[in-house]
Amino acid sequence: MKKEKTEELNVKWVDGLLSPEEEAELATLMEETPELEAELFQSRRVTQAVREGVSGSVEPPYGDFFNSQLMRKVDLEIASKTPAKRAERWWQSLRWAWAPAGALALVLAFFAGQRIGKPAVSGAGVAGLDKSAPAAIADLPSIYFTSDQLNADVISDADGEVSAIVVTGLDDLKDDLDLSTASLGSDLKGLPVSYLRSKARNFQ
Amino acid sequence: MAPAGASPGADAGEQEVPDCKLIEACKNGDTQAFEVLVTRHRGKVYAMIQNMIKNEADAWDLSQEVFLKVWKALPKFEARAKFSTWLYRITHNVVYDWLRKRKIESNGELDDGLLNPADIAVGAKTAPSAVDRPDKALENRELGDRINAALATLNAEHRETILLREVQGFDYKEIAKVMDCSLGTVMSRLYYARKKLQTLLSDEKGEN
Repeated sequence: MKKEKTEELNVKWVDGLLSPEEEAELATLMEETPELEAELFQSRRVTQAVREGVSGSVEPPYGDFFNSQLMRKVDLEIASKTPAKRAERWWQSLRWAWAPAGALALVLAFFAGQRIGKPAVSGAGVAGLDKSAPAAIADLPSIYFTSDQLNADVISDADGEVSAIVVTGLDDLKDDLDLSTASLGSDLKGLPVSYLRSKARNFQ
Repeated sequence: MAPAGASPGADAGEQEVPDCKLIEACKNGDTQAFEVLVTRHRGKVYAMIQNMIKNEADAWDLSQEVFLKVWKALPKFEARAKFSTWLYRITHNVVYDWLRKRKIESNGELDDGLLNPADIAVGAKTAPSAVDRPDKALENRELGDRINAALATLNAEHRETILLREVQGFDYKEIAKVMDCSLGTVMSRLYYARKKLQTLLSDEKGEN
């Protein structure tokens, strides 16, 4: 018989856990080894002595202190885990808002783009024609001529702060005209009165 | 939930709450339930460790370590497993880690002084708790001393196998799970441990 099987039979016999088949096997073994029976009984006595002589439960000294110490360690363990959990919960609690927040950001970006990309009021609009700058048109000067043949175009910048007035219908200036010495004569007729006065002051 | 921190066996209500219920409560963070569980099992764990290492102070500290590990590992504990087997498995690991550290600290040699039968306190923690007649109590104490002395001469694996089988009443399969070994190894260890105890106690008897 194999050594392992013999050991198993021995152990199980001592514990009273042999099956009928195993008992038969052990009986055969006992016949072959007469001293085995005495050995088994001795082993059972020792086992019984251990069961009686050694207590399976011994309260640790200062049982209450044992518990309080342990629970303090447990509390520390819980506390050490808590911050991480809180952070996780805080982060998780915001997950529901990710989609609406993203949509809101898209809408804001769209409107911001609309405002930034809006074309500025033309810097060279013609008075009366540039409908995209109504405020600037309101500030344009009104120009009156005594002659029906004269016409003026007012060109204004976007803010209406700088304007250029283009007058058409005037007679061409003569090539020999000396503006530094010229007197106000018929050559300048037809110009606005305010312009003429201004010119007169410059020449004085 | 039964009140926590009561002395063992003092509160009959504690016994009414099965371990599985307490474990479920512990998994939900109920520390009071855990304390009830500790109070219920601390005696067995402490006795096992004390019988393994024969040092009261270290046994106390290691028992604390065992239960702290139990608390940490409880979320992973599966209800289909037997709690006591799982608890003793953790106890086994804690004790063997400690023994390994002691071995390293003593330059790779097992500190036999630790297990010297002469160092075992007379009649201390392994004495039966039941109160016997004085002559019977003395007899039991002497028997306990002799057995403890004999157990101390066994190697750790044999000693643990004997303690789990004879003292804690585990079956062979449970012992195999606790010690993380095969059934055959359990049988072999039990056979040789018993044989050695038999020899030791017979010799002592012969000397006396």
